[in-house]
Amino acid sequence: MYVIEHALLNLGKNKGRNILLGVITLAIITATVVAMGIFNTTRVVIEDTRAATMSAIRIQPIGRTQMTGSSQQESAITLEMHQYFAESLYITGADISDSGRGIEAVYYLIHPDMLGAFESDLRGRGLPDAYTVRTDDAAFASLVAPIENLQSLSVAFLIIILVMGAVIMVLVTAVSIRERKYEIGVLRAMGMKKKSVALGLWAEIIVITCICFIIGMGIGAALTQPVTDSILAGQSQAAGPTTLADRINNAPQTEAVTVDVSITFTTSLQIFAISIVLASVAGIISITRITKYEPIKILMERT
Amino acid sequence: MSVLALKDVSYKYEGTTRVIFKDVNLTFEPGKVYTIVGKSGSGKSTLLSLLSGLDTATSGKVEIGGESLASINRNHYRRKKAGIIFQSLNLLPNATAIDNIVLSMNISGVTGIDKKARALELLEKVGISQEKANRKIVKLSGGEQQRIGIARALAHNPELIIADEPTGSLDKDTEVKVLKIFRSLAQEEGKCVIIVTHSKKVTTIADEIWGLEKGSFRQLDPSEVQAGREIIAKKGRKLV
Repeated sequence: MYVIEHALLNLGKNKGRNILLGVITLAIITATVVAMGIFNTTRVVIEDTRAATMSAIRIQPIGRTQMTGSSQQESAITLEMHQYFAESLYITGADISDSGRGIEAVYYLIHPDMLGAFESDLRGRGLPDAYTVRTDDAAFASLVAPIENLQSLSVAFLIIILVMGAVIMVLVTAVSIRERKYEIGVLRAMGMKKKSVALGLWAEIIVITCICFIIGMGIGAALTQPVTDSILAGQSQAAGPTTLADRINNAPQTEAVTVDVSITFTTSLQIFAISIVLASVAGIISITRITKYEPIKILMERT
Repeated sequence: MSVLALKDVSYKYEGTTRVIFKDVNLTFEPGKVYTIVGKSGSGKSTLLSLLSGLDTATSGKVEIGGESLASINRNHYRRKKAGIIFQSLNLLPNATAIDNIVLSMNISGVTGIDKKARALELLEKVGISQEKANRKIVKLSGGEQQRIGIARALAHNPELIIADEPTGSLDKDTEVKVLKIFRSLAQEEGKCVIIVTHSKKVTTIADEIWGLEKGSFRQLDPSEVQAGREIIAKKGRKLV
């Protein structure tokens, strides 16, 4: 217990080097919060979009891979037939419109897994074999493309942050602990066990990490949404703007894609675990190097 | 029975051929003060490193209570049995005097006492006021730091006190005060006190004086010890 108490007292006594270590840890944690926040949110958005688009069903003539609008073949299904299909129990509703150039119909499944049952139902209601019932894969792909790009960016950013962060933290921690070689020599000369010295140094690093985690979560949470908006705005300008809902419904493209990023409890736990692991690895590498010295050698170097 | 013994101990620095000691045999008994004198570089501090378990002999063995120091946990030996006063003090500079002493007690596993009160008591004994006891080591003079080093070595009540030039930075009055403490630790508490020194005054409190020269030890004349004791006794009375 005294080892931990000594470690806590040391935090205040070695302000300079602890602040340096803290600033670097804070930067790494903040960047991790932003990257993890974007990654986890985009993953949820992609899943939601998948669920939404996979529930939106169109009837297409066999041989067409993409829905591009009306056609003569499609028109073979009359407005009355579409309305009859819309009475199926497997759907929550349908958007059926006749623009004059052809009939547009989208059916919304209660659940994406009901596609097979819905198709059987439509066959029973007189859907010709020349037609197939399918999801709008193209719409899904175009909807999630900017979000997937954002997710890929966040993954790349996260990997860079973790690798660079680990290297920087190992170096900074090594320098910080090396500066305390004399103190370690004194403690060992007084008979302190190697593992107690290591535990004390590790405890100091973990306390600094925990403080940085709390601050980093706050800063990261505040930065995540603006960073996300900024990246998405850049992508939308290049790809053409639209909202998810509008794209599903083939509405006019008027607004940029938006993702409401949030840092969930699970994300916070993941970031906390990453921070502790990163700090521990950096600390253990440095502590192992320094505690292998015999105290007499450390003290002789000093004198 | 000896508390500490050197048996055929030889020592040379790693990677060199220079022999510091050769086949040294010494025994240290409880209740006695030993001083070891010798020229600078003669190996006095190296001897203390061996006795305090900070270094190991090239050959031969150092025994503590009949057991070889090489076969027991040397950290445990330093934590529990030995109180070491380093020439270079080796205090934690950013900690207060009290913190240094309390930490030493914590490391040694001292329990069941008010450690802060014990630290203050020891500091008072070596002439450090309560106000200075709460100052960081870096804000204290060399002499004050030396006294804190002495107090720290006594904090866990070790049976063996090993001191390297413990009075080097002290003024005459404080030196006498500290020497009286060492003498009383041996005489009244039965501890074994081993002091490496250049100071003739320190040798005056010794029961045995050993000279180290060219790698071998020679016991010096005990009459010198008695004469010295009388001098120190007179100075001590003046202080009281």
